[in-house]
Amino acid sequence: MKLSSPFFHHSLPTNKVMLLVILALIPGAAIQFYFFGYGVLINLILCSIFAVTAEYFVLYLRNRAPQEVLKDNSALLTGILLGLAIPTTLPIWMTFIGTWFAIIFAKQLYGGLGLNPFNPAMVGYVLLLISFPVEMTAWMPSRDLTANQPSLVQSLELVLFSQTSSGLTVNDFRTLADGYTMATPLDHVKTEHVLGKMSSEIFSKELFQANQNGWMWVNFGYLIGGIYLLFNKVIRWQIPVSLLASIFVTSGVLNLFDEELFSSSWFHLTSGATMLGAFFIATDPVSAATTPKGRLIYGASIGFLVVIIRTFGGYPEAIAFAVLLLNLATPTIDHYTKPTIYGHSKDQQDQDDDKQNGTAANE
Amino acid sequence: MTDLPIIEKAKGHFHGGVHPQEFKSISNQAEISALPSPSNLVIPLQQHIGNASQPIVNVGETVEKGQLIASCTSGLGANIHAPVSGIVKSIGPHHTGHPSGLPTAAIELETNDQQNLNSEYLPRLNHWREETSDNLRNCIKNAGIVGLGGATFPTEAKLKTANIKTLIVNAMECEPYITCDDRLLREHPEQVIEGSQIAAKIVNATEIIFAIEDNKPEAISSLEKAIRLIREAQKSTIDSSGEPKNSSAGTEPSLRIVIAPTKYPSGGEKQTIELVTGKQVPKDQLPASLGLLVQNVATLHSIYNAVVNQKPLTERLVTITGDLVNKPGNYWIPFGTKLTHLIETFEVDRKKISAAILGGPMMGQSISNFDTPVTKSTNCIIFNRTQSNEKSWVIETKPHQACIRCSECQQACPVDLLPQQLYWFSESKQWEPLEKQGLFDCIECGACAYVCPSEIPLVHYYRFGKSEIRKNKANQEKAEKAKQRFEFREMRLARAKEERAMKHKKAAEERKKAANNQQEDPSGKQAAINRALERVKQKKAGLAQSQTTQDSGEANE
Repeated sequence: MKLSSPFFHHSLPTNKVMLLVILALIPGAAIQFYFFGYGVLINLILCSIFAVTAEYFVLYLRNRAPQEVLKDNSALLTGILLGLAIPTTLPIWMTFIGTWFAIIFAKQLYGGLGLNPFNPAMVGYVLLLISFPVEMTAWMPSRDLTANQPSLVQSLELVLFSQTSSGLTVNDFRTLADGYTMATPLDHVKTEHVLGKMSSEIFSKELFQANQNGWMWVNFGYLIGGIYLLFNKVIRWQIPVSLLASIFVTSGVLNLFDEELFSSSWFHLTSGATMLGAFFIATDPVSAATTPKGRLIYGASIGFLVVIIRTFGGYPEAIAFAVLLLNLATPTIDHYTKPTIYGHSKDQQDQDDDKQNGTAANE
Repeated sequence: MTDLPIIEKAKGHFHGGVHPQEFKSISNQAEISALPSPSNLVIPLQQHIGNASQPIVNVGETVEKGQLIASCTSGLGANIHAPVSGIVKSIGPHHTGHPSGLPTAAIELETNDQQNLNSEYLPRLNHWREETSDNLRNCIKNAGIVGLGGATFPTEAKLKTANIKTLIVNAMECEPYITCDDRLLREHPEQVIEGSQIAAKIVNATEIIFAIEDNKPEAISSLEKAIRLIREAQKSTIDSSGEPKNSSAGTEPSLRIVIAPTKYPSGGEKQTIELVTGKQVPKDQLPASLGLLVQNVATLHSIYNAVVNQKPLTERLVTITGDLVNKPGNYWIPFGTKLTHLIETFEVDRKKISAAILGGPMMGQSISNFDTPVTKSTNCIIFNRTQSNEKSWVIETKPHQACIRCSECQQACPVDLLPQQLYWFSESKQWEPLEKQGLFDCIECGACAYVCPSEIPLVHYYRFGKSEIRKNKANQEKAEKAKQRFEFREMRLARAKEERAMKHKKAAEERKKAANNQQEDPSGKQAAINRALERVKQKKAGLAQSQTTQDSGEANE
């Protein structure tokens, strides 16, 4: 018997919320598996195992009843998100470093679930991207392009030993029949633009179109999962909607400015991790803004940064950087977007806030 | 006036809110009835906000039903009357369901056979339409009426507010399980309306609005019927007299019903006001600042009983419900009736129950000591299975999961607070920012804890925070006083020391002076010699003078 009211309780428990998010990842992950092969599955399994063992290890060191805490499924979710974000043929030891770093440094060292200021999966991803840029951008071309997708055994060999028993490396699989190595569409567009090519040239190539097609379907899968989460009220609409709208508007404005230099909104919305980021990564409640207005600002800022970094930055994909940057800004956003409490006047509340800040500064 | 629609939709809405399962049909089917009196009653002296009442009967004294047994002597408080005729068995500490679990002062009554209500204990009045507001208020005060919605604020004090335009009758009854107001409106709408008219007359309100949730269609239709009858009666008086302005109907407050969508906690006073008027009560102000007065249905019914029937408040309508109750429903239960008596009467299986809930499941109180009596604030008693070996509707106490800052609590908060921040500061005991976040605006409705996926007992954290902050403030005041006292004592000691030093110095100086004088003239001989010399001089001078006069006289001769 509970000691004090309310005695009623009704909501999906936190561990089920996490499970539901994992469930909602299935359509996107399945499409990703279809287009990019067994590596997706291998990554998911490896990352899940590494994430859970890392969490267990730290909880054990911290004397925090590992079996109980692991039931919240949050480490599993972090692992799965990271597993979907890394290239399919990433060597196992890199995956291990990324996942353990994400769980231990980005989450448990801050105190565990609910206390981490940064999205753990994205911290792991960025660590890997900055440390191993070549391996982290070595994505397979999508299924329609390549005649010889690695088989399950070959994928395992690539992950474990970086080459198959017949001596093939990742780049051999990425090279198309005409000797052309296919990068991800985002990467490709970026390189070609740097080389001075026009958008019309880049986008008209059939090979590029076919590759982009795969990524579009992957994004579509995550969109379906995201809508499922929205309808089940696991996530609220503010972050994904403002994020996608902001990507649409920012890239649209750039595209209107010069369509030969800047890719279209459609391309930005259907490329890379846009949908995965909008519905599954930016919506991580722990590190995101919490007030309704704050969430709009948070989502819109991520969308804006994604387009800016993709277009002008040094890396082809920007979801992880944009999310981490906005994680930094979250406390400030939350502070300035507090809702007006019942019966308070807006001005009065702001003044009180300023006073509070003033005294805090003086102290 | 009669052309105005009787029923309106609520204009406003409030932020957040939740939709818990209602469980109201368990108890709202049966008609209101009374229970056989218990043989032993425990009547707490503090059943209201304000000072505890002082007993005015002695142990062994025989009291009659309706007799005043404890009165409010000074300040805010309420009278208490004997709910049954009987003998005062004891006056002293007893389990009364205080949240601390500690016994508080109470009067114990042993029932005897005479059970007639002695209405002489309340002063006789003329018809209330002819009485003055002061007399009516006095009658309400004498009857010991307090807010029966659960707040138990003395009604007489609330009716003193000036500049009231609208009386809102709070019939929302938004908590699950509770149906006593619903039943009262279904069965006695005209009595509640008359009670509201009395209250409106006292504060000079020009309109009365019944605010009710749309999940009580029967209560709404019976209210509507009663209001229509009153309007028709008024119309006919106007028609027959032909002079509407002179008839009493012209000054009658208008009656309306406002229906709000079912959402918890629409029955909170501030939420009701926001629903009905679309306005919020400004911070630190009373509803009177908007020209509003809110009264609960049961309170108005007890006003009707006091003013029209001269009946003091000795019993109330209580919803007895829960899955272990035989014949759940609404019953008139005298104050002081112990839960043990109800457990027997309603054949509740003691083995399946570890605690009862007084009030609703969202804001009520769990009581595991069944000696606890029914008081003026008890609107509902829930007996549900609570033993852990059975499948329980109440969550068992277990360590909660971590807060993931999902903000579902923020979406549910009717006051627009950030419950996750309140939890954060309360959990880390940062009292100052906790207060700045608006902790004392929290109405403890429990909507946040209801939706929390991590099952954090949020309200418990807020209560803890509130009590700690209050305690700190009291301690601070105490420390301030002690500091002042200490500083004054230091000052006083210093002053005394200084004065003493001054005194000593003065005395020393005097002694020194005296000593100096002594040194200059140790025995005063010199002075004596001087004086003697002076005398001799004077004598000589005198002699010389007389000689010269003699000489001159001789010369003249």
